Amino acid sequence: MNATFAIAGATFGEAVRKRILMVILLVALLIILISPAFEPFAAERGARTLIISFGFGVIQLAGTFIAIIMCTSMIPTEIERRTIYTILSKPVQRYQFVLGKFFGAVGTLGFMYLMMGIVFLIASRMALGDFDPKIIRGLIMFFFQSSLLAAVVLFFSTFVSPLVNYFLSGGVFLMGNLLSSFLETIQRNPEVTPLTRVPVQLLTVILPNFANFNVQNPIINPEQMLTDETAYLVQTIGYAIVYIALLLVASMLIFNQREM
Amino acid sequence: MSEIAIKTVNLTKRYSGLWSKQPVDAVKNLNLEVHRGEIFGFLGPNGAGKTTTIKVLLGIIYPTEGEAYVLGQPAGDPKNHYKISYLPENPYFYDYMTGREILTFYAKLFGIAEPERSKRVNELLDRVGLSRAADQPLRTYSKGMQQRIGLAQCLINDPQLLILDEPTAGLDPIAHIDIRDMILELRNQGKTLFISSHQLSDVERVCDRVAILNRGVMVQLGRIEELLAGGHVEVIADKVPDNAVEPIRQLGGKVSLHDGRLIVEQPDNGTVDRVIDIVRAAGGHIISVKPYRRTLEDLFVETIQGGKNA
Repeated sequence: MNATFAIAGATFGEAVRKRILMVILLVALLIILISPAFEPFAAERGARTLIISFGFGVIQLAGTFIAIIMCTSMIPTEIERRTIYTILSKPVQRYQFVLGKFFGAVGTLGFMYLMMGIVFLIASRMALGDFDPKIIRGLIMFFFQSSLLAAVVLFFSTFVSPLVNYFLSGGVFLMGNLLSSFLETIQRNPEVTPLTRVPVQLLTVILPNFANFNVQNPIINPEQMLTDETAYLVQTIGYAIVYIALLLVASMLIFNQREM
Repeated sequence: MSEIAIKTVNLTKRYSGLWSKQPVDAVKNLNLEVHRGEIFGFLGPNGAGKTTTIKVLLGIIYPTEGEAYVLGQPAGDPKNHYKISYLPENPYFYDYMTGREILTFYAKLFGIAEPERSKRVNELLDRVGLSRAADQPLRTYSKGMQQRIGLAQCLINDPQLLILDEPTAGLDPIAHIDIRDMILELRNQGKTLFISSHQLSDVERVCDRVAILNRGVMVQLGRIEELLAGGHVEVIADKVPDNAVEPIRQLGGKVSLHDGRLIVEQPDNGTVDRVIDIVRAAGGHIISVKPYRRTLEDLFVETIQGGKNA
């Protein structure tokens, strides 16, 4: 595990120094900080809903961009710069390399979410006068959503070029956010033929369900009522961990056969 | 312990693209043996298959046919990687790290624990002359310093075999000499060095044996002095009469005489004294006697161009 953590540390160190990621983080922090200024636009939904939804929206968007940008180039850049050759010529197994890269990415996401979370809590405390526990739960959910996305991107990066990966991962994220609602809609509609329904059902099972993680956002899910919030949280995080594990195993198997 | 550090048996690496009709053999039936304790030069023009062979030896890519062994074990066996090291051509190391941090990183990959890790890192920084720059980020390092840190990361595990790809490319003369000296020092410590390089003068100076690869096929293999045997001596003389030419020509050299000025390219086989005797006996005057040793560059060009013309 020494080698895995050494690689994770190096990956984290490099990622937090990437200008593009830092720019995204700084812009997100700035927007979160000024989010209470949008209070006058709250209308009938109330300041709390607007500020929390706005903050979550910014954090989710920043987390998504950070996960995709960071992970698409992670392995291809190592190959292009030949750094990987100096690593794999040491007693490092390929699976350790993939794991190290993923842990480094998750560490970076954790750091970014921590920064955005702190600023979000401060901004919401200043605007709303209290700490809303929903924020912490939402942050945890979005962190796992981004980690799952990072695993998807890393999986694709073991066999496609960064440009293709941007589109593939972006597409999977988009579909993973929309498919479950789409499936619900077509299941309610008796006119939809099995020819349309079955592929959507299949895709909903295969692709990661990113929509599950959005439950905390009151604007995206205005009527969402959770009977047992903790159980939902644990279940969703469990889903993310299992899906991440499957993606990592697939990534390792592909990367093990890959010629560089 | 086997006396063979690297062995390939009919090693072939074939690439067949998704859309290309014709598969390409990057390396074809390569049979190679590198002995322990020697410096082996692995030469060839760009695209000859050198880096492909190295990647197979390191287990980064897999052979299509044939076998490759490193230190007696099948190539790519990660356990074997405790005993070998690799420096790629123009490598990039995480440049936000300092020299000390990057060596610590590579030491961790070997599972070297403290305090041994710090001790070894400090020793290596000292050995490659980077102690004073140890805490500077690598992005501030010159090309020569980067190459030295690259060599240092190669030595972190005290390897038995070092595989170096273009270790002196792009270096200024001083850094060049430094790295060359380090390579010789490593050989003196009993390590085996497998060097792929286009710096033929360096290879000629430091290597014991060389192999030349062209289009994936090995076209030359042998000890440097054997491969470079067959130089010639150029004798220039003045006031040489016409009748001296024929006996000189019979000695086997290339002879030209113009207005009494004689130029002889004589094979370096002990007949040069006879040429000089004939010239003097005929009343000629020796102007110069200049030995021309065949260089590795000559051999390389002849071999590769010969291959092209074939």
